[in-house]
Amino acid sequence: MADSDTELIKRAQAQDLDAFCLLAERYARRIHLLASHYCQNTQDAEDLSQEVWLKAYQAVQTFRFDSSFYTWLRRITINTFLNHRRSNFFRWRGQSTVVQLLSIDLDDSGELVGSSSASPENIYNKLLFENVVNALAELTASQRLAFLLRHYEGMSYDEIANAMNCSTGTAKKGVWRAIAKLRARLSPDSHEPEPLIDLASEY
Amino acid sequence: MHNCTETKERLIELVLDGRPVEASELNACAECRAEFDALNMTLRMTSRLSETAAAPAESYWSGYHERLRGKLATTPNPSHAEKQRRKEKLGPLFETMRLCVRTQVRVPLPLALAVIIACLALGVFAFRRTETPVAQAPLLVHVPVQVPVVQEKVVTRVVYRDRRSSSRNSRRAINDDAQTESTFAKSRKPSTDEIPASLNGFKPTDGIKLTVIKGGSPYEK
Repeated sequence: MADSDTELIKRAQAQDLDAFCLLAERYARRIHLLASHYCQNTQDAEDLSQEVWLKAYQAVQTFRFDSSFYTWLRRITINTFLNHRRSNFFRWRGQSTVVQLLSIDLDDSGELVGSSSASPENIYNKLLFENVVNALAELTASQRLAFLLRHYEGMSYDEIANAMNCSTGTAKKGVWRAIAKLRARLSPDSHEPEPLIDLASEY
Repeated sequence: MHNCTETKERLIELVLDGRPVEASELNACAECRAEFDALNMTLRMTSRLSETAAAPAESYWSGYHERLRGKLATTPNPSHAEKQRRKEKLGPLFETMRLCVRTQVRVPLPLALAVIIACLALGVFAFRRTETPVAQAPLLVHVPVQVPVVQEKVVTRVVYRDRRSSSRNSRRAINDDAQTESTFAKSRKPSTDEIPASLNGFKPTDGIKLTVIKGGSPYEK
């Protein structure tokens, strides 16, 4: 039977490195996914997510079981993101990542290579990935973080505001502006969605 | 009444939360319908990002956890970090003192507590004994002080003018004067009796105040 989170946390608080690594294995994918959406680069995402785990390891003795472990960990993640945003840590290599991904499936003449990965669905997914990554890269760091927390993490505006140390109106404005930009970038006609931008400007 | 602005606000939240939207509300306004479709498509595309290319392959994770374990192993553990921080905070002097006090002999905790309490009690007792008040004689110091005094005397003389021209009331006036004089004499202070009637032998001081009352007779008008 697998150990519960509480058991692992207590062992980690008693300086059991194996227990902490087990905790990391449970939550590493969620933290890494958030990091990869935020910084748009695999290497940066790994560096950032591992920094989150190092900070969590240093602070695990301060965990008081008032909230879930993931909530506590997410708070550390957001703080790490915000600190790195201030220090211009990220390298913004979204475009090069997409080129690298597409080059897997295309030869020199531009023809599709292979049968499994060259299916229309895979090509569509990769083009979709390229579009979304580029659209997210065009957002400001605050807008991107607010959007990720609202859309992927399902946090309320109050929770986002508390985590990002801003007002609820600012958090809502950030999310709506991010959606407006994404919609403008990802919609087929690519026209500027004036009503949504107007709506976001009201906050 | 349909309000596009309110509907769009609500639509964003509904789409973000993944809750269903009433078809009647969307069918009422073509603009809101288009807005909803665009929002829905945008957020569906961003959701698929995490399902497709953003997730690394399984082989990636074994290397990831190995690297993380290596970093954690080289990171000082929390208790060690705490001790190090405390050591830096207390400073080398306190650390030296702490090492001097440290003993290699294991002492049972109750015994150590009893010794500490006994030492404290003795200390308090000794402090109280030394604190008892001792009766001390008041220390008097005589210091001669010279105070300059200005010698000043105020002499007040009352002079009555005797009007003997009045024949009719002369006797009566004399009697009244005598009576008044005696009354006045009674009311005067005893010290004034010692003042000589004349100014012979009196050494004047720096200032003399002489008050002359004219018409002092009580019957004079």
